[in-house]
Amino acid sequence: MNNYQLTIKVDDKQVVLERILQVTRYRGFLIHGIHAEVNTGTQLGTVVLQVHSERPISLLIDQINKLIDIKEVKVDNDVTAQIVG
Amino acid sequence: MENATLPQTVTYTGASLLFEVLQQHGVEHVFGYPGGAIMPIYDALYDSDVNHFLCRHEQGAAFSAIGYARAAGKVGVCFATSGPGATNLITGLADALADSIPIVAITGQVPTGAMGSDAFQEIDVFGLSLACTKHSFQVSDVNDLPNVLHQAFAIALEGRQGPVLVDIPKDIQLAQIETTLEDFSRLTNKVKLPPANVGSAIALLSSAKKPILYVGGGVGMANAVDELRAFADTTGMPSVSTLKGLGAINPDDEHYLGMLGMHGTKAANLAVQECDLLVAVGARFDDRVTGKLNEFAPNAKVIHFDIDTAEINKRRAAHASILGDLKVNLPALEIPLSIEDWQSQCLAMKHDFAWRYDHPGENIFAPAVLKEISDRMPDKTCVTTDVGQHQMWAAQHMQFQDPSDFLTSGGMGTMGFGLPAAIGAQVSRPYDCIVAVTGDGSFMMNVQELSTIKRFQLPVKIVVIDNAKLGMVRQWQDLFFNGRLSETDLSDNPDFVMLASAFDIKAKQISKKSEVTDAIEEMLDHDGPYLLQVKIDAKENVWPLVPPETANDKMMESTHE
Repeated sequence: MNNYQLTIKVDDKQVVLERILQVTRYRGFLIHGIHAEVNTGTQLGTVVLQVHSERPISLLIDQINKLIDIKEVKVDNDVTAQIVG
Repeated sequence: MENATLPQTVTYTGASLLFEVLQQHGVEHVFGYPGGAIMPIYDALYDSDVNHFLCRHEQGAAFSAIGYARAAGKVGVCFATSGPGATNLITGLADALADSIPIVAITGQVPTGAMGSDAFQEIDVFGLSLACTKHSFQVSDVNDLPNVLHQAFAIALEGRQGPVLVDIPKDIQLAQIETTLEDFSRLTNKVKLPPANVGSAIALLSSAKKPILYVGGGVGMANAVDELRAFADTTGMPSVSTLKGLGAINPDDEHYLGMLGMHGTKAANLAVQECDLLVAVGARFDDRVTGKLNEFAPNAKVIHFDIDTAEINKRRAAHASILGDLKVNLPALEIPLSIEDWQSQCLAMKHDFAWRYDHPGENIFAPAVLKEISDRMPDKTCVTTDVGQHQMWAAQHMQFQDPSDFLTSGGMGTMGFGLPAAIGAQVSRPYDCIVAVTGDGSFMMNVQELSTIKRFQLPVKIVVIDNAKLGMVRQWQDLFFNGRLSETDLSDNPDFVMLASAFDIKAKQISKKSEVTDAIEEMLDHDGPYLLQVKIDAKENVWPLVPPETANDKMMESTHE
C-alpha cells in the first residue's frame, strides 16, 4: 500500500470538495487525511489530501485533473516520502 | 446614433432566458417530460420556437437526446422535473458519460427555500450527478443562469465530450433578469494540450513489422473519419475496430478485419494478439476489448492517440502517446509502411475465418437476417441497438459507413437504449432510414416510447430479435453456470404484433427463413413506423466468445457444421 499527499488548487466553485472526494473514492484511493480551504469567498481554494492505495498516484492525478474546477494537482514528494518512511 | 448600436437590455424570466440560450446554441429539438418543479420552463416552452418531443418516461427522453446527439453530431438536450423525474434521467446520464456523448440535461428543482427540507419531489440530483456527469451545476441566482448555460454547452463539447446537468430551482425559473444576449460570456476551452511530439511514434511505426490499427469511438467524436481513413490508406495497416468505432474504417477496406474483443472476429483477435505494434486511436483498452489484460497483444508496443490525458497508461502502458485533436495528429504520422508479408497474413486470416451464413434447418438465423437488412437498407441508414445478443450480432454482421450510423450503448451496456435512441436519431435525421435492432428483453424496457413514435409519426423501423429469453444472460448461464437458467425465460412476453397495432404501428411476425426477404422488403418499403418480430431459436449463441479473464486468442467458437 502506497501513501501520498496531494495539494490541489481549485477554482472555488460549488461542491468542488465533494467532486474531489467522489473521484478519489471511485478510483480506489482511501483518504486518511484532509485539510480543505474552500467556500472562503475568494476565487481560489486549496485541498490537501493524504491518500493510500495500491494503484499508482498518476491514475488519481489524471482523474482529478479532469474535473472542471481544478487548477493544479501536485504530489508533495517530501511529505509523501515521510509518510512512506 | 451611438445608442442605436448598444445591445438592448431585455427582461427575461429564468425560464424564458433558458430558451433564448438554447436557441443561441442552435438547439431546435429537446426531449422531455413535464412536472411540478419544471412548470415555469414548460410554460415558457409554450411561447418558444424550440420543438419539444414529449417522451413517455424521462429515461426515454435522455436516450432520445443521446440518439439525437450521436446521429447528428450536436448537443442533445433533455428536460425533467425534480425528484423522480431527475432520478429517471440518471441512467441516461451514466450512459452518456460512459460513451462520451454531449448532452445537456435540464432539471427542475424545488424552490430554493424548500431545498434541504425533504420537500415533495425533492432529491439531491446535484449530488447524484457527481458520479454520472462530466460536470453539473445548480443555479442559486438567476443572474448566474446565462453563464451557467453557456458553460454547460461548452463543457459538453470540449475535449472528451460528455453529459452536463443543470439543476434549476423553481423560484430561479420564475425570477426576472435584465440582460443583453451579448452579455453572455463564453467559457475558454480548458483543453490546452502541448503540441504532440510525434518523433518517437514515427520511429515505432517505421520499425514495425506487424502493426495493427485499433480504432475506437473517439474517431467519430473527433469528426476525424476522413483523417483516419487517409492514415489507414497511406500506411496500409490492417485495422480492427471497437464496438463504438464501427463505421470509422470503411467496411470495404480490404485490410479491415472487423471488431475485436469478446465477440470480435477471429481474424481481428488473432491479428491483435500477434501484432508487434498497436496503434490505438480514440480507444481506451476497455475490458470487453482486451480480455485478460496482461495477455492482450503481448508482443506489441503501443502508440496511443487520445484527447483525454487520463486514458494514457490507464490500462495499458503506451510507448508513445499523442495527445490532442485526431484531425491534426493523425496526418502527422501518415507514412507509408513496407508490411506486405503482414498484410498477406492478415488477408489470409480474414478469408479463412470469414463469417458463414450456411445455417441448418428452417429456423431463422439472426446473423443472416441482420446481414440481409444491412445489405438492403438505403445509404445513410442509421441503426440503433439495445444490449445483448442482438447487439453483438448487429455489430458483427451489419456494415456502417460512418460511426454516426451505428448507435449502441457501449460502455454502460444499457438495455432499453435502442428504441428511444432511434427516436432521437429520426428527429435529427428526418429523411434518413432509422432501424432499431432490439431484443425481446431490451424492447420491453422502454416499450412506452412506442407512444412517442405514434404521436410524432416517426417512421422508425423496429426489428425485434425474439428468442423469448434474456438471451445473452441465458448464453452465459449455459456456458459458465452449468446450464442453471435463472430468471432468463421471457416466454410470457406480450404479443408484439398486437402491441404495435395498439400504437397504430404496422407489424409482422416471421419465424421461417423463407419469410425473411419479403418481410425485410415490406418493412423498408413502408412509409411509416414498422415493427418486424423475428422469432429465432432460443438456443442460438453469439460466436465467437472470449470467456471472461481469458486471452483473446482462446475464443470459443460455434459448433455448427
